[in-house]
Amino acid sequence: MKKIATIAMAGALALSLVACGGSSASSAAPAASAPAASTASTAASAAATDLTEISAGMCQTPAILTSIGQSADVDIANTLCSKAGIEVTMNKNITGDELPDDCKTLILAVGGSSKGLGAAGIDADQELARTDALIAAAKDKGITILAMHTGGSARRGTLSDSFINPAFEGCDAAIVVSEGDADGLMSGILAKNSTPATYVENTAGALGALQTAFGK
Amino acid sequence: MNMKKTYLSAAAILVVAGIVGSIAGMSFYTKRHFQEDIVTGPNVTEVFKLSKYNPNLEGTIGDSDVYVLKGEKEGGSLVVLGSTHANEPSGHMAGILLEENANVDVGTIYVIPNINNSALTHNDPLDGSPQYMHFTNKNGETRTFQYGSRATNPIDQWPDPDIYTHKSSGQTLSGSETRNLNRCYPGVEDGTLSEQVAYAVTNMINTLEIDMEIDLHESSPEYAVNNATVAHERAATIAAEGVLDLQLEGISMSLEPSPTTLHGLTHRELGDFTNTYALLMETGNPSQGRLRGYTDETLVKTGKDPCYVIAYDLGLLYVDYSSGDFPIELRVGRHLAGINAYINAFNNNSSEDKQIVVSGIPGYDELVNGSLGDYLL
Repeated sequence: MKKIATIAMAGALALSLVACGGSSASSAAPAASAPAASTASTAASAAATDLTEISAGMCQTPAILTSIGQSADVDIANTLCSKAGIEVTMNKNITGDELPDDCKTLILAVGGSSKGLGAAGIDADQELARTDALIAAAKDKGITILAMHTGGSARRGTLSDSFINPAFEGCDAAIVVSEGDADGLMSGILAKNSTPATYVENTAGALGALQTAFGK
Repeated sequence: MNMKKTYLSAAAILVVAGIVGSIAGMSFYTKRHFQEDIVTGPNVTEVFKLSKYNPNLEGTIGDSDVYVLKGEKEGGSLVVLGSTHANEPSGHMAGILLEENANVDVGTIYVIPNINNSALTHNDPLDGSPQYMHFTNKNGETRTFQYGSRATNPIDQWPDPDIYTHKSSGQTLSGSETRNLNRCYPGVEDGTLSEQVAYAVTNMINTLEIDMEIDLHESSPEYAVNNATVAHERAATIAAEGVLDLQLEGISMSLEPSPTTLHGLTHRELGDFTNTYALLMETGNPSQGRLRGYTDETLVKTGKDPCYVIAYDLGLLYVDYSSGDFPIELRVGRHLAGINAYINAFNNNSSEDKQIVVSGIPGYDELVNGSLGDYLL
């Protein structure tokens, strides 16, 4: 028994010579968003077909584009607007008080990003409070609210869903990349509120939907 | 008698330990001194050493080669970094394919496939990683490349402090992060080896006024930032346009903002300390993930891992792994397609005299439907 223990200890010593040193550090911070669903549901597409399409020209400029959740999807939306020939003013952190009186459309680029929230120096609760106040202010001023969810399944999960709920409950129209609504969360809210919406296959498809919404 | 037996046992154990240690030592020595099989491409106009921008690197393992592809006409400029993390091989191989194949007509592209050269000379302890990757080129010749570690080799930078303090921000991280090149930017001229390399890159970008920088990485499929581009805020427009173009090509890519409060990373510090548009690309790679099974060169090259199939079925991944594999051709193809897309986006947002015109970069479809070796010289 003693010999076996000695051999085991010597073996461990030899192995430690082979593999000394610290373990590799991982920079992967726990993400707040949930993994992509591996099985797509048809619920979204089924519900989406029941929705009213966005009517041409229902959105007008001047328009403000903001982020709801501080993901970089707001930059994507800005590029889409630019390519669509829609002049927008991007303000990722605009508050309800800062909404200009002449603003006709408020575009919400919806999607949570822990990196983005960190970059903005705020937490999810603060962003949610800003969202609620912003939507309330826009409604008071009669501004049309257009919600966009273009990030697909990568912008779903606990963090993103917490922003999807108030944004889609409060919007007057929505543009959604279908793949991100496999569970029908967004189409369910839109159908319940009879909110017109356009579902597109991918982010680039949102370009045409924006042009329609702004009558371009 | 008993004492004699004990001496004999001890001697036998020491001999066995010596043999094991010698075999391991020879393996370490060979890898440490392995000359990687990188061929200078026919359109490379100059190769210089990184020490040109930090003389402290001269004669050290951190003195990487910089491949310059300069067009006949002046224009914009781009630097591509591979092997920031040397266990993320698609960045390394994309850099090599770029310098061996690209032909720049306008502007200049700088390629550093081995930016953390030291990290390529060892593996992460206890990870069971392969030491080398082999590819067969069109001529039927086998070319061998290093598979390395996330961090600088402790032979070159030791000991790690208990706590690593990032010099320019004062940010503190765990001690081992001192050897993570992507926590060392903008670098320190006479700092640790990793800091010196980072300083050389920063100084090079500032001195040559390089317009755009792309750092190539891979990520675990269970990590949230996957198949993504991380962009400094000044680069957001270029990144957004590039992402849209990639999606139009059917290549899934998301965009993430560079956190302002996490320091030392290329997309943060090179954006802050230089005028370059700083971008970083991540592509999913099962051989780098924690959930992987048996790890060998085949896994690195095919990205085929039954454990990740299970993880995907359980909904634990942030990427679509329904194919059951992520071959290196796909991962390198994503990086090269990204480089093309961001060059196009840069051109669309730049003046006439700042254009970059390049041809010959292997296409995404070509790579995915072919073999990486077909594009090696």
